[in-house]
Amino acid sequence: MAREECKALLDALNRTTACYHHLVLTVGGSADSQNLREELQKTRQKAHELAVATGARLTGALRDKSLAAEERAEFERLWVAFSGCLDLLEADMQRALALGSAFPLNAPRRPLVRTGVAGAASAVAARALSARSLRHEAEHDFDVADLQELEREVLQVGEMIQDMEMKVNVPRWTVQARQAAGAELLSGASAGASSAGGMSVEERSGPCDPSKALAATLFSAVLLAAVALAVCVAKLS
Amino acid sequence: MAAGGRARAQRPNLDKMERMVVSMQDPDEGVKMRSQRLLITVIPHAVAEALHLGALLVRHGYLYPLRDPRSLALRPDETPYRFQTPYFWASTVWPASELDYAIYLAKRSIQRRGALLDHEKGCAPRIWQEHYDQLQWKISHAWDLVVTQAREQLRAMKQRRRGDRLVITCQEQAYWLVNRPPPGVPNVLEQGPERGSCAASRLQTCKSLDFYKWEIEYARKALGRNRLKSSVCLEAYLKFSSQRGPHDPILSGCLPSNPWVTDDDTYWAVNAPTAATPTRLRVERWGFSFQELLEDPVGRAHFMDFLEKEFSAENLSFWEACEQLRYGGQAQVPALVDAVYQQFLAPGAARWVNIDSRTMERTLAGLCRPHRYVLDDAQLHIYMLMKKDSYPRFLKSDMYKGLLTEATVPVETKRRVFPFMRKPRHCSPSPALPTAGPGGGGED
Repeated sequence: MAREECKALLDALNRTTACYHHLVLTVGGSADSQNLREELQKTRQKAHELAVATGARLTGALRDKSLAAEERAEFERLWVAFSGCLDLLEADMQRALALGSAFPLNAPRRPLVRTGVAGAASAVAARALSARSLRHEAEHDFDVADLQELEREVLQVGEMIQDMEMKVNVPRWTVQARQAAGAELLSGASAGASSAGGMSVEERSGPCDPSKALAATLFSAVLLAAVALAVCVAKLS
Repeated sequence: MAAGGRARAQRPNLDKMERMVVSMQDPDEGVKMRSQRLLITVIPHAVAEALHLGALLVRHGYLYPLRDPRSLALRPDETPYRFQTPYFWASTVWPASELDYAIYLAKRSIQRRGALLDHEKGCAPRIWQEHYDQLQWKISHAWDLVVTQAREQLRAMKQRRRGDRLVITCQEQAYWLVNRPPPGVPNVLEQGPERGSCAASRLQTCKSLDFYKWEIEYARKALGRNRLKSSVCLEAYLKFSSQRGPHDPILSGCLPSNPWVTDDDTYWAVNAPTAATPTRLRVERWGFSFQELLEDPVGRAHFMDFLEKEFSAENLSFWEACEQLRYGGQAQVPALVDAVYQQFLAPGAARWVNIDSRTMERTLAGLCRPHRYVLDDAQLHIYMLMKKDSYPRFLKSDMYKGLLTEATVPVETKRRVFPFMRKPRHCSPSPALPTAGPGGGGED
């Protein structure tokens, strides 16, 4: 169905954007290298393809006048998420362009900032491209040629955003997000970076103290037991 | 939300700081670095230096301390610091958007399992919870995106080594401390009111043909601009001030009295645009410049009388008709142009004006397509003619001299506030210092 397809594309785009964000974080730092620039390029191209595909599907769906009201609401929700994601991607691409030109890899008088990040990021890029691993095959002066391409792509993404805004009119304030506040806490166990496997908070009513909840349940259990005992004693006597 | 390549003025202090940070990295001349052991991870490139400049760098977020990550202050002891990645430098990402902040808080919230409140002591983590709730309300439509991005970013981070993960978390924390400082900490990124200076470097990503064409045009216009020496300018300014000083009601008081002080609006009645008898000051003003004379309706009427005596009144009529064309309605333009042509410009017209042949040719050519500015050249020619020729004669004429002597000088009303005050207070107090002038400059 069109909706599931759009959702899947949007999830992939979100994943690629997050990975791109991670890779751009390290540009100019101590982990910057030819490989990183190449990974950036591949991730960016994948993100661009996904964005174009998702945009086409969503635009097609929303311009269809014969859509039911709740389907349209669903598509509008996806649209808002998509345009936000595209904005993030464009901002990251612009920053990558600025940083890439400010920190060229082969210039002797402009050393990279030593930030303490030393590892390779190929696993991140592999996750973005949904590939098992990544092969690096760029030639020596790759980053200079890449910058011009990046410039063009930034302009393309900007045009795409404008185009989308012209074609479809979705007022942002009418869209209700599906995830309620605090929804990120569910499935928090799988996304947490720290290793301690604690309990995930079930309650959605803000940050309530788990110890307080435990004390309340214990107290009520004790109270029930006392009441049951009293009833038994009363029955027996 | 789209930034769209808008030019952003780089703040020069950030620029200098960045250059310094980059030069600190130089392996030959830069700062000494040593590795730091953190539990079982070895993180290279920690720095231990302390200067005032260092304190500035820390406060703006180019360095961050490792021991006490919550406070961005430089301490003179041996605490290690680390450089911030260029992505988070103040000039690249500024201004930080609400969406990014929301994603960051969501990530922290997931990592700490729903409790943004830290149990370590530090500065007000409660404020983060408040911010988080506020953001949920402000950008609730984008909350899906916030949650998805937070989850995806955390998953992407898991692909890195543990050491790198710690470093990146510290970097982000330091960045948000600079950009969303907790209450009580001054915001270093605050800018004063916009200066509107576009002399700062523009971030042009694409220098296209249009950009160069614009630049050439701009430079050409700048070359052709009239350059005036400041000495000449200042002289003109001084002359203007000394000439106009006595005429200014605030500087030299106004006769008969200041309406705001005495509630008597004689002053306004006497100086109304269509007053019958002009005041002396007003008549004197007509002598300052031709523009003054024409702008004053009474002056214009007297000038018209004078021109009729000299048999050149059609000049002023033509000028007035052109003004009407310029400022009139669009629908009347063709009819008015036609009327003006018939009356003033046609070869055998009743009130033919004397324009030189070149201007006449141009005007006649333009009359084929009438618009409201088609008579501009002719109007200017007639204006200069009047200014150079008729106006000086008017000022020397008997009519003008007669007007000057006839003009009234209103009497200043004396105000007695208290019956037992000996000296009457001035009824048009001037805030200027006491100078010699009509009505005095006595302070109240």
